[in-house]
Amino acid sequence: MQGETGGRSDGEIVRAVLAGDRERYAVLVERYRDRYARYAARMLGSADAAEDAVQDAFLRAYDQLAQCQDPNKFLGWFFLILRNRCFAEQRKYRSQVSLDAAAAVPTSDRSDVGTETAERRRALQKALMELTAEQREVFVLKHVEGLSYIEIAERLNTSVPSLKMRMHRAYDRLREQLRDHA
Amino acid sequence: MTQHEFDPRVKQLLDGELTLADLPAELRAEGEEALRLLAAVDRASVSVPAVTWRVMAALERRRRRLWWLAPAVAIAAAVVLLLGRPSTPPTTLSATVVTVRFVLVAPGAHQVSVAGTFNRWDPSATPLVRSGTADTWVATIALPPGEHQYAFVVDGARWVPDPAAPAVDDGFGRRNSVLTL
Repeated sequence: MQGETGGRSDGEIVRAVLAGDRERYAVLVERYRDRYARYAARMLGSADAAEDAVQDAFLRAYDQLAQCQDPNKFLGWFFLILRNRCFAEQRKYRSQVSLDAAAAVPTSDRSDVGTETAERRRALQKALMELTAEQREVFVLKHVEGLSYIEIAERLNTSVPSLKMRMHRAYDRLREQLRDHA
Repeated sequence: MTQHEFDPRVKQLLDGELTLADLPAELRAEGEEALRLLAAVDRASVSVPAVTWRVMAALERRRRRLWWLAPAVAIAAAVVLLLGRPSTPPTTLSATVVTVRFVLVAPGAHQVSVAGTFNRWDPSATPLVRSGTADTWVATIALPPGEHQYAFVVDGARWVPDPAAPAVDDGFGRRNSVLTL
């Protein structure tokens, strides 16, 4: 996960910010905010919560920027900060998470999506919220973000067999949830 | 395997390692059910354009807080007095004068004053004194109701507007804070 090849690289920007050019940090925020808002929205079941999580993660990343050991790998390092934020949010509000929150992810209501499709999406998002955060994460990274098991394993510093086991349990639970909701 | 568990070969289908055609006939229906599940995945992007300015504004606020904090306290005190329900004994000197407390946190400063329309912009007229922590400077003065413009002067040379108060251009490229009593 190297930085963008167009324009200034992530590494150059991180080094500039650390050297005192604070305003340059906006380039990194602009570059990655939407990409990770989708991950956060699917993880938290709410677009608003995702926006807060992404904002908070960028602020934390700024505070800890000097600890980013390889500025060229800012993206992977930032992802772990956002991931921790999402997991913490999940633990904090676990008892308060309403299944209805899934409906707050806005893309299901797009006008170009038929009612039946929108309903299936809502049902799946509700079912995703019933998974453990670890199961939901591997599903989101593979089937929403389109990463391979190898890429996910690298990102999460884990093994492919471990991820597959998590995912296969997720498939079974999703099937159960969707049948119950049917 | 319970009734809710997908067959391992169907899980391979979901993982993209097999196609529907690879499944035996008896698993086709289950495979189609699995593919319907994947078809419901919402991959639409989520846009959060406000995050950029919210992050940068938060960083700017933090930076300013290192130097200044509290003129907002002075404004709050004035508001309380004007509303006529002070939390401490009234400090108005008369019906037409309001006591205002200016507070500034300025790490490393050796001298702080407030200059404004109420003291003819004289940096030596209203010095702040250290209070509490070494970085906190305070001055309490009586002002008539109305609009006042002011700025803090740090170490006799640096003019600092109040980031917590409205500000106007002074016509010379600087910003003056505005306090309305």
